[in-house]
Amino acid sequence: MIDISSIPNIPPVLIYFAGAALIPLFGKGRVRKIYLIILAALGLIGVAALRSPAPGEWEFSVSGFELIFLYVDPLSLIMGYIFAIIGAAAILYSLDVVKENGEFVCGLLYLGSALGAVFAGDLFTLYIFWEIMAFSSLGLIWYSRTERATNAGMRYILFHLFGGCSLLAGIIINYMSTGSISMVSAESGIGHFFVEPGIGYFLLLIGIGVNTAFITLHTWLPDSYPKATIAGAVFMCVFTTKTGVYALARTFPGAELSLFGSEIPFVAYMGGVMCLYGVIFALLQNDVRKLLSYHIISQVGYMVAGVGIGTYIGINGGIAHVFNHILYKALLFMCMGSVIYATGRNNLTELGGLAKKMPVTTITCVIAALSISGVVGFNGYVSKGMVIHAAELSHMHILALALMLGSVGTFLSFLKLTYFTFFRRNDEIEAKEAPLFMLFPMSVTAFLCVAFGVYPKILYEILPYRTVALQYHAFAVGHTLGTLELLAMTAFMFFSLRILITPHDKITYDIDYLYRKAGRGFIWFCEHPLLRFAVGVERRVLRIADSFIMFGKNPLRGARVMIDTVGVSLLKPFIFVFNLVIHPVYKYYERDLEEVKMRPVEEMEKMSIGTGLLLIFLFFALYLIAMRLAGLV
Amino acid sequence: MDRKVLKGLLIVIACVVLVVSAVFVFVIHSYSELFTGVLYGAIGVVFFVVMAKVLSLIQREGKQDD
Repeated sequence: MIDISSIPNIPPVLIYFAGAALIPLFGKGRVRKIYLIILAALGLIGVAALRSPAPGEWEFSVSGFELIFLYVDPLSLIMGYIFAIIGAAAILYSLDVVKENGEFVCGLLYLGSALGAVFAGDLFTLYIFWEIMAFSSLGLIWYSRTERATNAGMRYILFHLFGGCSLLAGIIINYMSTGSISMVSAESGIGHFFVEPGIGYFLLLIGIGVNTAFITLHTWLPDSYPKATIAGAVFMCVFTTKTGVYALARTFPGAELSLFGSEIPFVAYMGGVMCLYGVIFALLQNDVRKLLSYHIISQVGYMVAGVGIGTYIGINGGIAHVFNHILYKALLFMCMGSVIYATGRNNLTELGGLAKKMPVTTITCVIAALSISGVVGFNGYVSKGMVIHAAELSHMHILALALMLGSVGTFLSFLKLTYFTFFRRNDEIEAKEAPLFMLFPMSVTAFLCVAFGVYPKILYEILPYRTVALQYHAFAVGHTLGTLELLAMTAFMFFSLRILITPHDKITYDIDYLYRKAGRGFIWFCEHPLLRFAVGVERRVLRIADSFIMFGKNPLRGARVMIDTVGVSLLKPFIFVFNLVIHPVYKYYERDLEEVKMRPVEEMEKMSIGTGLLLIFLFFALYLIAMRLAGLV
Repeated sequence: MDRKVLKGLLIVIACVVLVVSAVFVFVIHSYSELFTGVLYGAIGVVFFVVMAKVLSLIQREGKQDD
């Protein structure tokens, strides 16, 4: 037997970063495949072997700040486990799909930095990995090498830079008021990092909210994920939003906002809004990966709600949903990636009839769809139930209702996805099953979805509040029966009202429509009024510079012209009176001035150096006398 | 229509309404917690279908990035 304590306790980020650095050495053939399989296994072992580091281990002092690169507790561990598991699955899935080393480098940096963020013990370290995540994931979009992907990537990085700046500003302001950057003080529990109320509080929340896709800050997600590469989308659906939920659980569990004299758990209600908003927009989508992207927002809503409720069972439910969601969402992106890989089509209106042609993909996709819909016996049922139960225990009935309705919408839209992709008749479509390297991780992930659904105790054991989790009965008769009825009714009504939710080749405006309008308005403002102002300022500055040059060439003449110009400017307001009384004089004066200005500047008579020096001394003497008289010397 | 037939139809409708009401009041109401799933399912589907129809008013042809 291998003694797990003999394995070095190193931050998993180092494994993946080193792996990314070495990829170019292995070419593009079979050696690279073997290397990546070994790397995925090493990453899994590295995370499995993690234990709390000794005091001072992996801590560095930089300019007086204690940066902690490895902090291990139940919350960071469960995040680490699921990131490593799905990271390994995504690497395997990529082996046949990804051709360029650069894309692998981006994927590994992204995976590594996400693990770096969840094992960070302080806010600055978290911020460093947060930004690396943003830039490495950008590569996964740009490797699609299409104009749409390039534009979406630009919008994606702009959003994340805005979020990163907010986060950094929030960290700095919070540091100035509390004097601490640590996320993990010595108390028990995970939500013991208290953010000082004020502007820093909101900046931190906005920074985290961008990654967590809070509504109004969410548009980067459905905009960019469908344009990422096939393998890139599998990586992307896992890390960014879940790291956001992790940061939220560390900093804002149960956060409340004082509104109209009462404390509102706004983070929890934001979860409810996300849940419904994501589902409604998902139902309207035609692009399969866009539909899945909107469902990420919806499912992250459950996690945000759980964390926002802030009770032990709420946080457990939120984190359990992170774990389960990563499994089935990655599986769904893998399945849809296989469909796109096999058919070259990504719209529901163009798909159909794949059930017989791609049986393994169909079965795994149905398992993922049942999991995300919260069908009894699949993993989504366990964690969703836990969050809804937490909402009911906290007497948040509106939130519980929103989350329950979210389940209905989710099932409805996955009936739509699976029906129109696999089961609707389509004789024209040509496809064959995906390669083995794609099917293997899909099958393993599907197995895990069922395993955690049938035997959720494995999950309870690794949740942050283990003892509370073990008391939760996922298969209570009332809850199970209610869920089955709900889903049966939804299925019945889907097939009755199918005509009303048939996919159309249309797009639906989201809030980003307003952002784009505002962006175009800003560009117009820069190109027209602002540019005109800049040109005006430039002209005036050049005129002043010309005046100085003219003055320098012949100071006497320059002084005379300047005095006359000022005189004319002062007289101009009284032009009406002048026109009445001394009109001709003023007119000729102005004309003469223009003539003087236009006349070539005659060089001043040159003096000898001695005369010049004499003048300088004379001025200097006068200056000293003036200073002496003023009593300053 | 014959007056007798009309009378008969009225009686049948009244009986059906009475029976359905009785089933709802005495049977389903007593076990309402067992039917919440059906209720939420129906409400949920109607809600999403209506929302989808409302939002379809702002749908248009083309691509999101146009």
